[in-house]
Amino acid sequence: MNMNKRKGFGITAYIILLMLPIYWLLNMSFKTNQEILGQLTFFPQNFTLANYATIFTDPSWYSGYINSMIYVSINVVITLLVALPAAYAFSRYKFVGDKHLFFWLLSNRMAPPAVFLLPFFQLYSSIGLFDTHIAVALAHCLFNVPLAVWILEGFISGVPKEYDEMAYIDGYSFPKFFVKIFIPMIRSGIGVAAFFAFMFSWVELLLARTLTSVDAQPIGAIMTRTMGASGIDWGVLAAAGVLTILPGLLVVWFVRNHIATGFALGRV
Amino acid sequence: MFKNNKYPKALLLTTAVGAASLGMSLQAHADQYSDAAEKWVSEEFATSTLSKEEQLKEMAWFTEAAKQFRGMEINVVSETIATHEYESNVLAKAFTDITGIKVNHNLIQEGDVIEKLQTQMQSGRNIFDGFINDSDLIGTHYRYGQVVPISDMIEGDAKDLTLPTLDLEDFIGLDFTTAPDGKIYQLPTQQFANLYWFRADWFEREDLKAQFKERYGYDLGVPVNWSAYEDIAEFFSVHVKEIDGERVYGHMDYGKKDPSLGWRFTDAWFSMAGGGDKGLPNGLPVDEWGIRVEDCRPVGSSVTRGGATNAPPAVYATQKYVDWLRKYAPPEAQGMTFSEAGPVPAQGNIAQQIFWYTAFTASMNKEGLPVVNADGTPKWRMAPSPKGPYWEEGMKLGYQDVGSWTFMKSTPKERRLAAWLYAQFTVAKTVSLKKTLVGLTPIRDSDIRSEAMTDAAPKLGGLVEFYRSPARVQWSPTGTNVPDYPKLAQLWWQYIAQAASGERTPQQALDGLAEAQDKIMERLERANVQDICGPKLNEPREASYWLDQPGSPKAKLVNEKPQGVTVAYEELLKSWEQTE
Repeated sequence: MNMNKRKGFGITAYIILLMLPIYWLLNMSFKTNQEILGQLTFFPQNFTLANYATIFTDPSWYSGYINSMIYVSINVVITLLVALPAAYAFSRYKFVGDKHLFFWLLSNRMAPPAVFLLPFFQLYSSIGLFDTHIAVALAHCLFNVPLAVWILEGFISGVPKEYDEMAYIDGYSFPKFFVKIFIPMIRSGIGVAAFFAFMFSWVELLLARTLTSVDAQPIGAIMTRTMGASGIDWGVLAAAGVLTILPGLLVVWFVRNHIATGFALGRV
Repeated sequence: MFKNNKYPKALLLTTAVGAASLGMSLQAHADQYSDAAEKWVSEEFATSTLSKEEQLKEMAWFTEAAKQFRGMEINVVSETIATHEYESNVLAKAFTDITGIKVNHNLIQEGDVIEKLQTQMQSGRNIFDGFINDSDLIGTHYRYGQVVPISDMIEGDAKDLTLPTLDLEDFIGLDFTTAPDGKIYQLPTQQFANLYWFRADWFEREDLKAQFKERYGYDLGVPVNWSAYEDIAEFFSVHVKEIDGERVYGHMDYGKKDPSLGWRFTDAWFSMAGGGDKGLPNGLPVDEWGIRVEDCRPVGSSVTRGGATNAPPAVYATQKYVDWLRKYAPPEAQGMTFSEAGPVPAQGNIAQQIFWYTAFTASMNKEGLPVVNADGTPKWRMAPSPKGPYWEEGMKLGYQDVGSWTFMKSTPKERRLAAWLYAQFTVAKTVSLKKTLVGLTPIRDSDIRSEAMTDAAPKLGGLVEFYRSPARVQWSPTGTNVPDYPKLAQLWWQYIAQAASGERTPQQALDGLAEAQDKIMERLERANVQDICGPKLNEPREASYWLDQPGSPKAKLVNEKPQGVTVAYEELLKSWEQTE
């Protein structure tokens, strides 16, 4: 009992510590700038939704969220479409250099995104992809596909090869087997891979900002407009921050039971 | 046969109907644009230096000039301040309604604007069709040859697309956007200055005045020199300490290691102390950054090369910055950035600030603030910045930020010309007075002298008086001596931070800065990337050689703290009016 109490206290303290910055952000988003800069208050004294109204009524603000969601979705779809067959191949077949290739995939993630900035910019603008959603989605694939392959390979290796063979004996063609039997078996792995792809793409700013100007401008780039020569618009910045957390929260909710497995790259 | 007969008839009929409807739709369009002009002029731009007829004439010119670009969509970008927000939210819409050209006026933070501009310069690929870029980059633009000078445009491909009533002479910031080759590179669209800010209500209090006079032997008032500023700072922070039960300070500043620390210095701090040579808008041959030019070619910034970045006036200015921050500012100021420190004086505990941007005017006269009276007039005033001991008549005295339309050669001609129309629209006399009243960043002499500005003056704490005074020419942006603003400006905060944190002395920090600047210029010289007037560094020689020559770099003064001098604010205003 005593032990439980102490454990409960520890967890509570831990959660409070974790939640404090997020609470502060939420708190600020409901305050006026005057209050934020004027005094220290733990609850909004003059509760206001004006900061949110600014974002939801101004197309140049909310289109940032739409743009971000579009390229993130495209990215997740491409990542899964490419990574699933790749991961299957790495798990099931042996070919010359497979181990090296597998490791090389991950090494793509070892280069900081800044390295690819100018080459990507040059490349995309010469083929007319600059400032499009697909450009950002493709750029993010460089980092997401390897990770997804690694995660999915773990999950796929967890499925005994006998399933494949049994399906073959039962007369399933390979595509039918893959879609009808195999994918449902690793669906939690797919969820986790999608989650990681989403997370990376959603918070990545450097590439997203450089490869866009107006039509596909991500929310992160739009948020910088709260900083001007006459100070920072803290209230709107906080409101925008709260709104960027929401989609992540939603996605986490869907894959909450599988995240730990995902971190172990599927090897349970 | 019968059929064949009918066919041309049907064709004729269709063509006729088509032509008629086309004509009608053209008619409708013409009306649509003039209706929009009528609506915008009477609803939004009612306050103007032009009569309504003149306004409508200007608008009709825009409709006509934009005909060839109708239906086009252009993208322009600027930093975020109230003026550009007005342009983006109101003027861009009005322009679209009146001309049929769709404008996306994108707002991002200034650092990102520069980044986009640099990306476009380096890659030669079009990102934005027009940039609003501070004129501090004038030295960069005319050297790299990637910008289309607007004076070339006006005489060249935009000859028929230049507003007859643009009236370039009316712009107060045109000197700042003109390069040594005599060409105008950028078109100013907003300006704000860096001035001295003080609590006029406290400076008027009899008890404080008597106390000050007793202690320092002269009157409390607007400081004319840095000695007086220092005395007043000490007076409030050390001796007065509390007013009406609240702790007060005689100085406010910021000192965190952050890029914004760079502006604190590159925005003319050394020139306020007296660094650099005489000359307006910028000192020649040595400017306030301490960069010496010979025949427009930068030759060095270290004293040993004839520059003044680490000369005695610069060291003095840095020393004073460090001392005042430590001794007289609130303790938390040391850890603040520009945007954190900016709103602090509005909270009512600061008596004066030597380095204050007028961009804060609007946020400091909001009702309910401790620094605003019940009737909405401010308790504070702005005044000319005090001068350091090295300052001489004929030098610049402060900084002015001049956001200006900038067009790149890498932008396709059509798009550039359409953006040029929008740029002119944002500064046209029809809209510029209204824009000035909203954003408080005047660009036209006619606006400053307007009655509407006189009416607004009491609430603006001296802004109007300042811009009407002939003294305003002493406030100017970074000049043409700086060959690559983005590359050089980013050095400053890193070296200044060493002095701010006490890790190095000001002299050591500035020696490092001067050397780093010379290194960058050396690299520019070697790479030979600049078309004209690229750096050509002097060989280093004994510092005394340069210090013994007249002008900058100036030798150290024996007495850096002369007698403090102040002036009553009313006297100051009068002296401005007299010289008018």
